[in-house]
Amino acid sequence: MRVILILIKKEFLQVFRNSLLWKILLLAPLAEFLLFPYTADYEIKNVHVAFIDHDKSTLTADIQSKFSASPYFINHGDIASKQEADQMMKNDEIDFIIEFPDQFENAIVRQEQTKILITANAINTVKAGLGSEYVQTVLGNYFTDLGEQALQMSAVPLSALNTTAESSGEAQEMTASVLSHTPQAQLVTTHVYWFNEQMNYQNLIVPGLLIILVTLIGAYVTALNIVREKEIGTIEQVNVTPIKKWQFLLGKMIPFWILGMVEFGAGLVIMKLMFGITIQGSLLLLLGLTSVYLLVMLGLGFFISSMANNQLQAMFIVFFLFILFVMLSGVFTPIEGMPDWAQYINYANPMSFFMSALKTIILKGSTIENIRHQFIVLSVMAVVLNTAALLSYRDKAK
Amino acid sequence: MALIEVTHLNKAYGKVKALQDVSFDVHESEVFGVVGPDGAGKSTLFNILTTLLLPDSGNATVLHHDVRTDYLEIRKHIGYLPGTFSLYPDLSVEENLVFFATMYQSDIEKNMPLILPIWQQLLPFKKRPAGKLSGGMKQKLALCCALIHKPTLLFLDEPTTGVDPVSRKEFWEILRSIKQQGITVVVSTPYMDEATLCDRIALLQNGQFIKMDTPQAIISDFRGTLVSLRTPDIFRLHKLLSNAPFRCTYYPYGEHMHIILEQPLEELLPQLKQFLDQHQIQFSHIQQITPSVEDCFIEIVKNSHAQNH
Repeated sequence: MRVILILIKKEFLQVFRNSLLWKILLLAPLAEFLLFPYTADYEIKNVHVAFIDHDKSTLTADIQSKFSASPYFINHGDIASKQEADQMMKNDEIDFIIEFPDQFENAIVRQEQTKILITANAINTVKAGLGSEYVQTVLGNYFTDLGEQALQMSAVPLSALNTTAESSGEAQEMTASVLSHTPQAQLVTTHVYWFNEQMNYQNLIVPGLLIILVTLIGAYVTALNIVREKEIGTIEQVNVTPIKKWQFLLGKMIPFWILGMVEFGAGLVIMKLMFGITIQGSLLLLLGLTSVYLLVMLGLGFFISSMANNQLQAMFIVFFLFILFVMLSGVFTPIEGMPDWAQYINYANPMSFFMSALKTIILKGSTIENIRHQFIVLSVMAVVLNTAALLSYRDKAK
Repeated sequence: MALIEVTHLNKAYGKVKALQDVSFDVHESEVFGVVGPDGAGKSTLFNILTTLLLPDSGNATVLHHDVRTDYLEIRKHIGYLPGTFSLYPDLSVEENLVFFATMYQSDIEKNMPLILPIWQQLLPFKKRPAGKLSGGMKQKLALCCALIHKPTLLFLDEPTTGVDPVSRKEFWEILRSIKQQGITVVVSTPYMDEATLCDRIALLQNGQFIKMDTPQAIISDFRGTLVSLRTPDIFRLHKLLSNAPFRCTYYPYGEHMHIILEQPLEELLPQLKQFLDQHQIQFSHIQQITPSVEDCFIEIVKNSHAQNH
């Protein structure tokens, strides 16, 4: 016991003397929380839109003014020719071309079917996808206000247009998809969803940041710490003492477990104060879940450290796994959208289990019954990884 | 009974044979020196004896425990000073000592008399981070940490490499006093002059023990006549001697050339002088000298080479 206590004390002394390390531990979460929720955002602003108005009616002018008024669009106005508009899109000056056919207003008034052509610059697929939703929403809104319920909708892609632009010797493919829409009132429903996106997305990303924080401390800091001891030779000096492997393991894990929990707690406070996200479920359950997940990450870090001979190797291994975990975990993209094989890989991804359980506790107020499955899986992973770490840690070399 | 018994020990790293068929004993209360150039296998041998490395074949017992199976028992009773400074550089002098004392579950107060002479020199720096100590002080702290549990056996891997001559001398005095406390010392060094300070030495070359005895016995085993002469033309003389009209072994030794002759000097002196004059080599201080351990080592190595070819 005395041995483990002094090992823990030693670790804390080292962390707090390493001025860079504890500053990073302190600043990294703050920086993440201050920057990430505002930058990693699916909100698209400043969508550049231009019109080709063959109708030049009061109605089309009115629609154009709606786009001018919207904070999401920058209206480049009415372009005289189709060629000119295409050129602007090739130059990346505009994202959308909205083309009104001749006799558009008349057709609307006579309640005949008519078409608006929306051309999107799909180089940035996210922008093109979300942008066209916005465009449809604005149009849909307009026609609802107009009381035009009778219009039929058909949103069938007419054709895809591929053009190639030369840029600094390299061929870049620019794809502009041409969509044909008849505006329709039903589209209004998306309005609520997209335009309140900011709040929803933060609810998703802030818990994701908590997870990244805990993972970094658990796996990264632990692996690098132990490998550093290998590098400077202190591990040999410790190995030659009669302490047992499990004592050494505990002496490393307890301090980093405490650090991880403190960071997590700080993250929860920031989440509440900065983003006003309140934990719907039990705080105790949340902390319990996190402590199990931390054990998984500590075991992983420890296991990696027994394979790596220097900090560079350890860093690359952890980095690789980290990216893999994050990509598959559903922190940034929904798991449901992934192909089946990726979802199978996720059964070995502790971050994915933690994410789904943590999200439901924080946002939905889930209880232990709802997340029992994740709890059990994470516990098994913790036991397996820590056993592997204990077995693979060599206090004598071959 | 011997504290260390090693028989037919082998260790290879891939194709490199670090230790080949090494056998020796270390007796109680002696200072046993392992002498050899860099890469001879000294650290490998130490790592096996301190239970950090497993041998490929052969047996080694330390304090009557097998290094393969009873390593935890061995670790309780040995102290180890590795070749490179391996204390926590960011912990203070005092914290390092307390840390390692606790690792051994030993009582600092009780064992303080053993390290007191060294510890007193460290006291002015006891709050300083260990990484910020001078080289000599680092070594002393490492020694304190290796002795704080009063080991029966102390391993020192090249403790004086990179240490200034004054500190080296001081360090060897400390080793003598440790020996007087009844602690058996196994020490490795690349410095031949330190070999004479050991009770027994083993000469290690390419992973093999080529000689093991007391320094005096090794010196008295020296065959041939050792002649030393001083010359400013060492480099030219070194090339010329390969064509000398008599059989000899030669090597530069500082500003001197050492020549080992197979006959007594009186018989060959005229011939030697004539040879030197003939090639216009200036020289002075030509005389027969008593060989040092280094001379013996070189002679043994050269002979073993001659036998191999």
